[in-house]
Amino acid sequence: MGGASRAEKRRKQEAAEARLRAAGITPKAQGGDTKRTTFIAVAVLAVVALVVGVTVLLTRDTGEPVVPTYTATAEGGVVTAGSGPIVVDVYSDYLCPACERFEERYGEELTTALNNGQITVRYHLVAILDERSDPPGYSTRAAAAALCSVPAGIFPAYHERLFDEQPSESGAGLSDERLVAIGTELGAGGDFAACVTGEANEDAVTAETEAAVANPALRRNGSFGTPTVTVDGALVEVNDPGWLQNAITG
Amino acid sequence: MRRDRLLDVVGTLARLGLAAVWLASGVPKALDPDQTYVAVRAYDVLPPLGVELVAAMLPWVEIALAVLLLLGLGTRAVAVASALLLLAFVAGVTQAWVRGLSIDCGCFGGGGRVEPGQTAYVAELARDTGFLLLAAWLVVRPRTLLAADTRIG
Repeated sequence: MGGASRAEKRRKQEAAEARLRAAGITPKAQGGDTKRTTFIAVAVLAVVALVVGVTVLLTRDTGEPVVPTYTATAEGGVVTAGSGPIVVDVYSDYLCPACERFEERYGEELTTALNNGQITVRYHLVAILDERSDPPGYSTRAAAAALCSVPAGIFPAYHERLFDEQPSESGAGLSDERLVAIGTELGAGGDFAACVTGEANEDAVTAETEAAVANPALRRNGSFGTPTVTVDGALVEVNDPGWLQNAITG
Repeated sequence: MRRDRLLDVVGTLARLGLAAVWLASGVPKALDPDQTYVAVRAYDVLPPLGVELVAAMLPWVEIALAVLLLLGLGTRAVAVASALLLLAFVAGVTQAWVRGLSIDCGCFGGGGRVEPGQTAYVAELARDTGFLLLAAWLVVRPRTLLAADTRIG
């Protein structure tokens, strides 16, 4: 290789590096200047993801679960739990993901307040998402099964399990066999299985759903949705984490 | 030199634009974690723990991307990360569309199931493609004005 071509090659490389520099990319030959900012940026992103991820894992299902000691009775499509002075009405659909979030977030707090006799909760088992499962009707089947769990003496645990095992909205939902099996697992007595497979409570669920949808006092932005919660008849905003404590302390 | 300056200005706009996108998408998600969980779950891809982790991390990662872009810190790496995240969103929306799910992408908060006639997959994918172009510019040419990169880089 002659001296002239070596000089030419070097000139071309310098020109290429100048172009890269103009684009904000430091050529490798110039040392690791951008390495530092790249490292900082990647480290920031990794730390943010890691901190949030670890927090989720650590705060997941901590402590002893609160064991329900209150009693529940059913009338129509409504399950009345506890006998405290403050009346909380909860309208939920077992296929509704936001209802699952509500149960996940406030389930233990409600159980504690029920155990302490501070509140009465009326669970209105409504089915507004029947069309979302394939085949349709899971919302009604699940709500009807939950009503069967009341005389079987397992409602609090059964209600919780239906949300723990909430199927995805695009699927068929839990089969009748599974709905029965969960109850059996939780110690359901008597004719629980026959109650579930016999669709004994489906009309009650339909009637409760129609009543809720038709009730203007339950509408937010002009329509009824789930979860809807009222305290002594007044709608509450459950995005406010303190809604239940505010209700209890007045 | 003047052309370089012009390209720097375009890059700066891309950088700040992408920062605005991440801020506008991260903040509403961070403010309503339950809604974010519902939105992530509606894609029907991840197991419950995966949904929980993604729903918790996503808003803060988006906000972190926004802050890094605003500062112009590690612009190229952040643009690569932005592009990867956008590609993940495109994949998520596409699989929902192909599988016939009726969901709102929840890109800027909200999200979850919608009525079958209420989907906006084409608009959502077009929007993501536009954001991908901003990221791609910064991957190819990360040099911008008022960037931390040029001061400490």
